Amino acid sequence: MSRLAPDRWAAVAMFAVAALTPLVVRDAFLLDSVILILLWGALSAAWNVAGGYAGQVSLGHAAFFGIGAYAAALMSARYAQSPWLGLAVGVALSVVAGALIGYLSNRLKGPYFALSTIAFAEVLKIVASRWRGFTSGSEGVPVPYRPGFWTLGLGHVAWLYLILVVAVGCYALQVYLERSRVGYQLAGVREDEDAAEALGIATRRRKVQAIVVSAAMTSACGSLWAQYVGFVDPSHVFSIDLSVRFALNSIIGGIGTALGPFLGSLLITSLETYLRATFSGVEASFTGIYLIIYGVVLILIVRFAPDGLTGIAGRFWAWRARAHA
Amino acid sequence: MDPAARLGPAQIDVVAQLAVSTLLLGGIYALIAVGLTLIFGIMRVVNFAHGEFLMLGMYLAFFAFTLRGVDPYLVLIIAIPIFYLVGLFVYVLVMRGVIHASHNVQIFTTVGLSTALQNIALVMWTGDFRIIRPWESSVVLRAAGTAFNLAQVVAFAVAVALTVALMAFMKWTHTGRVMRATAQDRDAATLMGIDTDRVYRLTFAIGIACVGAAGVLVSPLYAAYPQAGLQFVTLAYVVVVLGGLGDMAGAMLGSLIVAAVEVGGSYIFGAAWKEVFYFLLFIGVLVFRPAGLLGQRGAETLGA
Repeated sequence: MSRLAPDRWAAVAMFAVAALTPLVVRDAFLLDSVILILLWGALSAAWNVAGGYAGQVSLGHAAFFGIGAYAAALMSARYAQSPWLGLAVGVALSVVAGALIGYLSNRLKGPYFALSTIAFAEVLKIVASRWRGFTSGSEGVPVPYRPGFWTLGLGHVAWLYLILVVAVGCYALQVYLERSRVGYQLAGVREDEDAAEALGIATRRRKVQAIVVSAAMTSACGSLWAQYVGFVDPSHVFSIDLSVRFALNSIIGGIGTALGPFLGSLLITSLETYLRATFSGVEASFTGIYLIIYGVVLILIVRFAPDGLTGIAGRFWAWRARAHA
Repeated sequence: MDPAARLGPAQIDVVAQLAVSTLLLGGIYALIAVGLTLIFGIMRVVNFAHGEFLMLGMYLAFFAFTLRGVDPYLVLIIAIPIFYLVGLFVYVLVMRGVIHASHNVQIFTTVGLSTALQNIALVMWTGDFRIIRPWESSVVLRAAGTAFNLAQVVAFAVAVALTVALMAFMKWTHTGRVMRATAQDRDAATLMGIDTDRVYRLTFAIGIACVGAAGVLVSPLYAAYPQAGLQFVTLAYVVVVLGGLGDMAGAMLGSLIVAAVEVGGSYIFGAAWKEVFYFLLFIGVLVFRPAGLLGQRGAETLGA
C-alpha cells in the first residue's frame, strides 16, 4: 500500500469521524453542527477550485450560491416540483453565469476581477429583492417541508450522509486537481500566466473551466443549503459576507490545498456555533464577536501565514522529519 | 407647435430638479470616491474597508449630536484630524505589512479589516438605525423652480471644497509631487531618495480623513448602522472604476455620471431599481473600458 501524506490521513480521519457521529450520538444540535461544517467546507472547496487552484480570486461567489438556493426553493415552493430539479436548473444557470464571469476574468486581473465579481453578486441581490412577483422580494421564500428523498425533506441523519457524500466529492475533485494534467496546468496559469501560455497551455479556456466548475459546485451546495435551512432571503444568500466566508475558510485552512477548506470550516464553523449558542440569549449583537475574530484572524493569517494551517502543519512535519533524520 | 412651449413650467422644473439633485449627490460621492482612488493610485491597494470608515464618521456625528448636541458641521472640524490619525494608526498596524505583498493578500487584509470594523460597530452600538435631525435637515431652499434641503447643499459645498483642496494639494505642493512620483514609479522614487513609507502613510491617512469627513457630512441625510458603509462603497467602486482607478479628476466625473444614472433611473423606473443601473453600468465599463473613461487603456491587465 502506498504511503498516504499526513494531510490525506487528516481528511480521511475527518470524514470518518463525521460518518460515525450519527452512530454514537443522536443529539440534533451536534448533528446540525457536523452537517454545517461539512457543507461550509464543501462550499469553500468549490471556491478553492477557482480561487485557490486557478488563482481567480472571486468575492462574488454568493451569486452562484444564491442562484442555486433560489432555484431549489422556488422550484419546490412555487411550482411544487422536486428541489432536485431546482438544483439542476440552478447548476445550469450557474454554468452560464460562471462562463460570463470567467470571460471577464480573462480581461481583468487582481482587484479589478474581485470588484467585478462583487458587482455581479450585488446585481443579483437587487434583482432578487425587487422582483417581488417571482422571488417574493425581500421577505424571502420559505421552503415547504415535504418528507422524502425526492422532495429533500430529510431527518438530520439522512442530511448528514447526503452532505458527507457531497463533501467527499468536493474533496476528491480537489485531489484530482492536485494530481492531474489539468491541475498542473491550472497551477501554471496561477503562478505565471505568460509562461503558461508560452508552454502551449490554453490559459483562457482553463480559467473559464475552473470558474464554471466552481460555480456549478457552489450552486449545487446552495440548493442543498436552501432545502436544509428551509428559508431563502436575498440579503443573506447574495451577501458579500457569504462570499468572504467561502474564501476565508480556504485561506485559514490553506488556500489551494484539498484539506484547507475543510480544516478552515471546522475551525470557523465550530467557533461560530459555540459563540452563537453562548451569546444568543444574552445579547444578540454579541454574536458579532465571531465576525470580529474572523476579520482579525483573516488579517493575521494572510500577513503571517499566507499558506494557512496546512502550510504551518506542513512546515512542522518537515521540521520533525529533519529532526528525526 | 414648438416642443419647448408644450413642456409646461412643471416639466421644466422636473428637469432642473433632476439636474440639481445629480449635482448635489455627485459632490458627496466624489468626496467618498476621491479617498479610495487616492489610496489606489498611490499605494496600488483597493481599500475594501473604505465604507467602514464612512460608517464610523456617521457614528461620530450621531454620538456628538445626541450626547453633546454638537452640530455635524462643527464635528467636521474635529473629524478630519481624528480620521487622519485613525488612518495613520490603521496604516501602521495593518497596511504597512502588506504594501509589497500580492494582490490577494492585500484584498483579504482590507476585507478582514472591513469585517472586523463592521462587527465592532455591531457589538458596541447594536444594529439599530441611528438617525439625527439637526435643524439644517428641515430647512428647504427653493430657487429657479427647484427645491432642495440645506443639509444637501452644505454637504455638497464642503465635499467639493475638500475635493478641490486635495487636488490642489496633489498638484502644487512638494508633498503632492512626491506622492505623484511614488504613484508613477515606486522604485524610481525610492532611488530619488523619497521615503515611500512616509508617502504611503500620508496617502492612507488623507484618504481615510476624506471618507471620514464624508461620513460626517452625510449623517443628517442617511441613517447610521453597522453596514451603512456598504451601500456607499459599492457605489464608490463604480465611480472609481468609471473614472479610472487612481485618477482624481476621473473620480469627479465618475461621481457625476453615477449620480445622474441614479437620479435619472429613480425618476424614470422608480427608486427600487436605481442600484441595478449603476451596477450594470459598472459591469459594462469593466467589460468595455476597464481602465476607465479617462484612464490609459491596458492598465487593468497589469492587475495594478
